[in-house]
Amino acid sequence: MPEISGPLLVFGVAAYVLSLLVLVRLRLRWGLRLLGLGMAALVGAMMGLFLAEALPALYRYGPSLFLRAEWDPPREAYGLLNALVGTALTASLALLMAMPLAVSFAAAVNEYAHRRFKAVLSNLMDLSAAMPTVVFGLWGLFTLQQFARWANNLLASLPPPVGWLFTPTDTGLGIFTASVLLAIMVTPYAAAVIREGYALIPREIVEAIYAMGATRFEAILIKLRYVRSYIVGGMFLALGRALGETVAVAMVVGGNLSRLPTSLSDTGITVSSLIALQFPNAHAYQYMVPTLYAGALLLASVSVVLNLIAVRYLFRR
Amino acid sequence: MNRRALINRAGQALIVALAVLGALPVVLVIVDIYARGVPAIVRIGVVEFLTGLPPTPLDEAGGIGPALVGTLVMAAMGAAMGIAVGFPLGVYLGAYRHERLAAVSQSFTNVLVEYPTIAVGLFVYAAMSLALPAVNPVLRATLGIEVSQFSGLAGALALAIVMVPYVAIFTASAYASVGRELREAAHAITGDEAKALFVVLRKAAWRAILASFLIGTAKIMGETAPLLFTALGNDYYYASPHEYVTGPVGAVPLLIYYMAQTNYEVQNEVAYGAAAVLITLVLAVFVLARLTSREGL
Repeated sequence: MPEISGPLLVFGVAAYVLSLLVLVRLRLRWGLRLLGLGMAALVGAMMGLFLAEALPALYRYGPSLFLRAEWDPPREAYGLLNALVGTALTASLALLMAMPLAVSFAAAVNEYAHRRFKAVLSNLMDLSAAMPTVVFGLWGLFTLQQFARWANNLLASLPPPVGWLFTPTDTGLGIFTASVLLAIMVTPYAAAVIREGYALIPREIVEAIYAMGATRFEAILIKLRYVRSYIVGGMFLALGRALGETVAVAMVVGGNLSRLPTSLSDTGITVSSLIALQFPNAHAYQYMVPTLYAGALLLASVSVVLNLIAVRYLFRR
Repeated sequence: MNRRALINRAGQALIVALAVLGALPVVLVIVDIYARGVPAIVRIGVVEFLTGLPPTPLDEAGGIGPALVGTLVMAAMGAAMGIAVGFPLGVYLGAYRHERLAAVSQSFTNVLVEYPTIAVGLFVYAAMSLALPAVNPVLRATLGIEVSQFSGLAGALALAIVMVPYVAIFTASAYASVGRELREAAHAITGDEAKALFVVLRKAAWRAILASFLIGTAKIMGETAPLLFTALGNDYYYASPHEYVTGPVGAVPLLIYYMAQTNYEVQNEVAYGAAAVLITLVLAVFVLARLTSREGL
């Protein structure tokens, strides 16, 4: 397959670029349409290539590739279940922590901040969204880790049901720490969307709320219910970020490749950090590369689906 | 005080407290990076730090020179490609947003914005390994060079894929917000679609678009995951400039990623210094973008 597909790929890209340039000169609108189609082609090419590269592993392991937790390169035995569980746990815990912060931030900025201060706070959140994620990882590894260990051991000492979820740890690396770091990183994304929706609440609605005799806090709750489609949309965007985040998670999650985590304090792995950590030496084995491509395929598919849901929610009226 | 008033007080206090908790971490991160990074740079010496080679575990000091060059080269190439594709794409998505095809294209662009960046890196890796055997013989015959599997070009391509949808979406919303009268006037006085879109209307939306170019550049300067399997990393300078395109190159985020996870203090120290340099670069571009978008409004 590779002997033909390489030249084919090069030829296809060259033909696309050439016809794009010619069309833009001749009929601008059709050139732009072709460019627009290029985005669909790019997403399609990514999915197709991941699928093609993942096929050997999908054939060999079948559904058990996603249903077993195993990572034993010498025996060529791989299962992505613990990575999937790790991704699901870190992302959902992160959202659980991030959403109250994002919603409160959006409400507080719009309700209480003066015009000048509002701009400062908004800029701070936008900056935080533009911050390199590896910097968060560095901070997580050297600073947050100590706080997370303390918080984790505090949670572990609580009476059950909470206490069951945590076990005392002495490293401070693991699922819980990764979730806290992710929560910090995705809060700005959700906050930006919610803030935008909150600022768009019509004045008549606000006047009506206060005319009913609502207190300030009751008014905030009603307004938040009014912008709930933005809250859900922002949540999905944050979830997409949390699922895909790689290096910051890889630095603090502990890199436990071969078994399911036994508690939230345990070390773990996520799909994206598994790819980051294992791909560099994957070519020494026969089926590790296809397995990692299968992980990438799954990750990308989930991200596409989430995105479609998020957009639907955001534009539903 | 009655119950409603009490809940009102407590609820508002809770919201403010949670809001502060949400905004605080980024301040803590910036303070922490500078508090540890600046002393590291000062100890090593600014020039030595910005130009020196990364330290081996046995060295007393080191720098981030090759990685800094790599980041600047790849961010420049990636931004150029990202703008070259993303800007016209955004014009299409914004100006023709009522077309069915534009709506479809917009949703794929939205998908790409949220696409996991590690998957982008993996895609470019796979595409390079398919395309290079076909391209390299031609390059060798005509230019006498070869692009290796891990190269600055691959890194720049991955960064461009991250940047395109970002620029496109901001450009589209800037074009979409141009008023109907202005659009009609632009088409009327030019009588030419290209001039109307890319000369007259561009000026109306230019500040917001320029800001998106800058913030997009700041974003890709700090990206790590797309570079892991494309640029790979490199601790040394190249003798000839074209090798930064054709061979494996370092990048500041990659250097931070690798040096943070070793057990050697000198390497951790350099990672913090590198992070201070990186967030200074990102902050500078970010502030520039904010000034650009605000002036004259």
